[in-house]
Amino acid sequence: MPYLGSEDVVKELKKALCNPHIQADRLRYRNVIQRVIRYMTQGLDMSGVFMEMVKASATVDIVQKKLVYLYMCTYAPLKPDLALLAINTLCKDCSDPNPMVRGLALRSMCSLRMPGVQEYIQQPILNGLRDKASYVRRVAVLGCAKMHNLHGDSEVDGALVNELYSLLRDQDPIVVVNCLRSLEEILKQEGGVVINKPIAHHLLNRMSKLDQWGQAEVLNFLLRYQPRSEEELFDILNLLDSFLKSSSPGVVMGATKLFLILAKMFPHVQTDVLVRVKGPLLAACSSESRELCFVALCHVRQILHSLPGHFSSHYKKFFCSYSEPHYIKLQKVEVLCELVNDEDVQQVLEELRGYCTDVSADFAQAAIFAIGGIARTYTDQCVQILTELLGLRQEHITTVVVQTFRDLVWLCPQCTEAVCQALPGCEENIQDSEGKQALIWLLGVHGERIPNAPYVLEDFVENVKSETFPAVKMELLTALLRLFLSRPAECQDMLGRLLYYCIEEEKDMAVRDRGLFYYRLLLVGIDEVKRILCSPKSDPTLGLLEDPAERPVNSWASDFNTLVPVYGKAHWATISKCQGAERCDPELPKTSSFAASGPLIPEENKERVQELPDSGALMLVPNRQLTADYFEKTWLSLKVAHQQVLPWRGEFHPDTLQMALQVVNIQTIAMSRAGSRPWKAYLSAQDDTGCLFLTELLLEPGNSEMQISVKQNEARTETLNSFISVLETVIGTIEEIKS
Amino acid sequence: MSASAVFILDVKGKPLISRNYKGDVAMSKIEHFMPLLVQREEEGALAPLLSHGQVHFLWIKHSNLYLVATTSKNANASLVYSFLYKTIEVFCEYFKELEEESIRDNFVIVYELLDELMDFGFPQTTDSKILQEYITQQSNKLETGKSRVPPTVTNAVSWRSEGIKYKKDEVFIDVIESVNLLVNANGSVLLSEIVGTIKLKVFLSGMPELRLGLNDRVLFELTGRSKNKSVELEDVKFHQCVRLSRFDNDRTISFIPPDGDFELMSYRLSTQVKPLIWIESVIEKFSHSRVEIMVKAKGQFKKQSVANGVEISVPVPSDADSPRFKTSVGSAKYVPERNVVIWSIKSFPGGKEYLMRAHFGLPSVEKEEVEGRPPIGVKFEIPYFTVSGIQVRYMKIIEKSGYQALPWVRYITQSGDYQLRTS
Repeated sequence: MPYLGSEDVVKELKKALCNPHIQADRLRYRNVIQRVIRYMTQGLDMSGVFMEMVKASATVDIVQKKLVYLYMCTYAPLKPDLALLAINTLCKDCSDPNPMVRGLALRSMCSLRMPGVQEYIQQPILNGLRDKASYVRRVAVLGCAKMHNLHGDSEVDGALVNELYSLLRDQDPIVVVNCLRSLEEILKQEGGVVINKPIAHHLLNRMSKLDQWGQAEVLNFLLRYQPRSEEELFDILNLLDSFLKSSSPGVVMGATKLFLILAKMFPHVQTDVLVRVKGPLLAACSSESRELCFVALCHVRQILHSLPGHFSSHYKKFFCSYSEPHYIKLQKVEVLCELVNDEDVQQVLEELRGYCTDVSADFAQAAIFAIGGIARTYTDQCVQILTELLGLRQEHITTVVVQTFRDLVWLCPQCTEAVCQALPGCEENIQDSEGKQALIWLLGVHGERIPNAPYVLEDFVENVKSETFPAVKMELLTALLRLFLSRPAECQDMLGRLLYYCIEEEKDMAVRDRGLFYYRLLLVGIDEVKRILCSPKSDPTLGLLEDPAERPVNSWASDFNTLVPVYGKAHWATISKCQGAERCDPELPKTSSFAASGPLIPEENKERVQELPDSGALMLVPNRQLTADYFEKTWLSLKVAHQQVLPWRGEFHPDTLQMALQVVNIQTIAMSRAGSRPWKAYLSAQDDTGCLFLTELLLEPGNSEMQISVKQNEARTETLNSFISVLETVIGTIEEIKS
Repeated sequence: MSASAVFILDVKGKPLISRNYKGDVAMSKIEHFMPLLVQREEEGALAPLLSHGQVHFLWIKHSNLYLVATTSKNANASLVYSFLYKTIEVFCEYFKELEEESIRDNFVIVYELLDELMDFGFPQTTDSKILQEYITQQSNKLETGKSRVPPTVTNAVSWRSEGIKYKKDEVFIDVIESVNLLVNANGSVLLSEIVGTIKLKVFLSGMPELRLGLNDRVLFELTGRSKNKSVELEDVKFHQCVRLSRFDNDRTISFIPPDGDFELMSYRLSTQVKPLIWIESVIEKFSHSRVEIMVKAKGQFKKQSVANGVEISVPVPSDADSPRFKTSVGSAKYVPERNVVIWSIKSFPGGKEYLMRAHFGLPSVEKEEVEGRPPIGVKFEIPYFTVSGIQVRYMKIIEKSGYQALPWVRYITQSGDYQLRTS
């Protein structure tokens, strides 16, 4: 086929669609329409034939109708006026004798996503809700939600909501579930669909008739229901018991979550539930679908945080298989780590030992770190395995083993001797920054027990010029100084050389400063150096590197079966943070972004903020509205009275800041859009004596600081200082809220 | 759950077809998907869940296609993946094989199906049997305009239509047990489990009531027949049609079946059984010159049974050449694209022991990259035999028209994930 630009294609298709001969031949007509859809699918702009396509919708051929309606839904937002012409046909089809046609027309009409269509779809939807075919009712029920979304944030139609609530008693299971979904969407401003006792019991009785999607959905809605009595609670749990063993993993997870939440006052019930879902969860962990397997593993890890050893007797199920994807293997290794107990430690370590020599360096390293984690409890066995691994003389293995040793020596001092014996020779197989740092640290802290420590460090000193990582140089400085204290004779000379290099030749400021610092420290006297560098040692019981303590089930029950455990809590926090910043998306109505961001300032902080102005002998006057012009003029005419930077990480919500400033009577004159870089804001405030404070906030791209410049129309230092402290407090509070 | 849109992408990440269900996530966001996937893959941090800004991508891969669901909500991941797999299942029933070509060739049906599977981001009708009643593959042919009304969509029993008629009423019952096995290089069994499924092929008229009787240990104990040979089933799962309350009460499996093929139930047994086919192997690698492989296979099941279609795949280094084989039975074949030797034995009676030797040359210049140690895999099928000893005791079929129907039962044991690690 010769290449045709989309314009030529449109022209050609237009001609074909208008050709009465083609129109008369149904097969040919449909083929032309199919071609239009094919091009549309390929991303060509086919909106040019909208008129002709609208005409083609008047047909008895249902497939042709579907294609035309699909076309209309795609291009209606681009051609709203022309789309209105199609409404007529659609309305007519909504009363077609064939329920398929009625449903199709109604669904398409509700999906037109263009302004002004609401008034046309209202009546067809209402008719659809009372249609005798359940197929049409399903479409109409969801149509209500679509219509509501088209309205934007308009008020809720009470009559419609009532109608939907009554349709919860519909014969058709999908209509029932769609009603819940639709009500949830329509009532989302008011907290979603209300699940009272009659509705809850009705839904519970219908559960077995629903398909897996419906069951999962209803289980999710039931989370909202609060049983009146203990008796009712246990009745519900009994009724839903069989769903813990459903064949659909989604339903199993949904049921588990519901049980955990309903039984939040009964820890033994929660534990019992987790015992009962062990089987289904394990089955999901070896599911044929990798993705489901991954999700199940993430949830297993979540459960293990609260019930360590919960899956211990099944540890073999978490052994990795050769062909599994990476992300599953990594999860399994993490799980294995948490399952170790006196009985299985031997087998688990043996298995992990096998992974350490895997072809994939990432996986091998993860396995080594896992062994390092187990070493906190089973130190001797693990140190032995790790020492053996050093014998392989593989770079990617040695570096991770040495890092593991470093953490281990700190947490389990009893293994120091063994580690020190294993270290000699490692330096030949370490090239990366992390590994070098770990090795140098170990040599510095425990150098007195490692005979050749000074010589290894000497090699590093010799090559310091070609060393690329500043962090390694810093570590080297500290380590050599430490070793100098325990073995002065061997180290004095090279310490001198290293200090000379760092102070005279080094280009990295941090390294140079560290060198200078140690040099000056040495000048004070060796006793002082010892006092500062060697004691007191950090306390390993601080648990900085240790795992967080066991968490109660209730701390994660509400996150169960969402994306949170799948991403991991930490990762989720960063994702939702940057989502917070993007909430100002033009697609979303402004009001909802506020409702979603929760209380702007936590109560206790609010007090703090409001107290401050009084304490600083500064009284900012409310409602002092400056015009932007006046502000600009004053700003340009004044000199900067004070400038400072405040730490500032990541994204935030400018509106939050504006609100917070308003609380302390600081007006926002102008502000950049959220997320833009550089980001600027201009603020103004006035105190009771009439003194003006004009402020500029500036966030440079890539900088983690907020620069604040304040100008004042009367030079008064004390009020200036109190104004700045108010500003600091507000910004500090916002920073706290978002992190 | 709620998906905003569903995309089918080709292997390069170009959208082949998509459907915007909710309109709350811009369709252009999909452009970020493939770069993100590639980036994560390079970092070694690939996961089936990716995020870009406020959009989450939940994706699965099927042959040369990516299926991606986008959402901006804190969705229920397992449900979204289940839905994507269901979508694939439905497409496969329509096109036999699902790949880029079949999507391109059938885009009209794909659109039709996407339209029925989900509405406004919520799964609707996903049962392919019901879908096939009103979205037919012959729709490319011209219809006379009278399209069929989907009868089942109004039914109380959502999985079976009324008015089904057969000349001969029959049910075929397949009891299939898959053996999963993982053996360490030193010969110790790490994992051995049996996953059983009972599949039905139903050709019955009307709305029949079926009742299935198994030699279930719990049932036997309930009814005081504990002396008979019985099986303890774990982790039993049923098709939606089975009345769970009755099973919980008195272990009766009663149901109105869907028409045609479906999986009635699945169960699991973790009792240790002797590995059915035991493999001993010696793989000796002489660097720069050759690889010598010796594999011994032993059938550790009853003498009366025969394993069919046995395939033992033994890994060889990727730079191996000039293969030579010697087998005591069956034939061996080198498959260079998978780096394995496949030793096929058509029939392998229980208690027998066979041997294969293979010899490969190795180039004198060794390859740079290190190779993994893939396991030896075994495939087989043993008919008329179940490892667990499960038996179908009866299948009662009652229909109001009172016809007589015959149940046929077949037992098969087959290999599942059957791996023996090599050293």
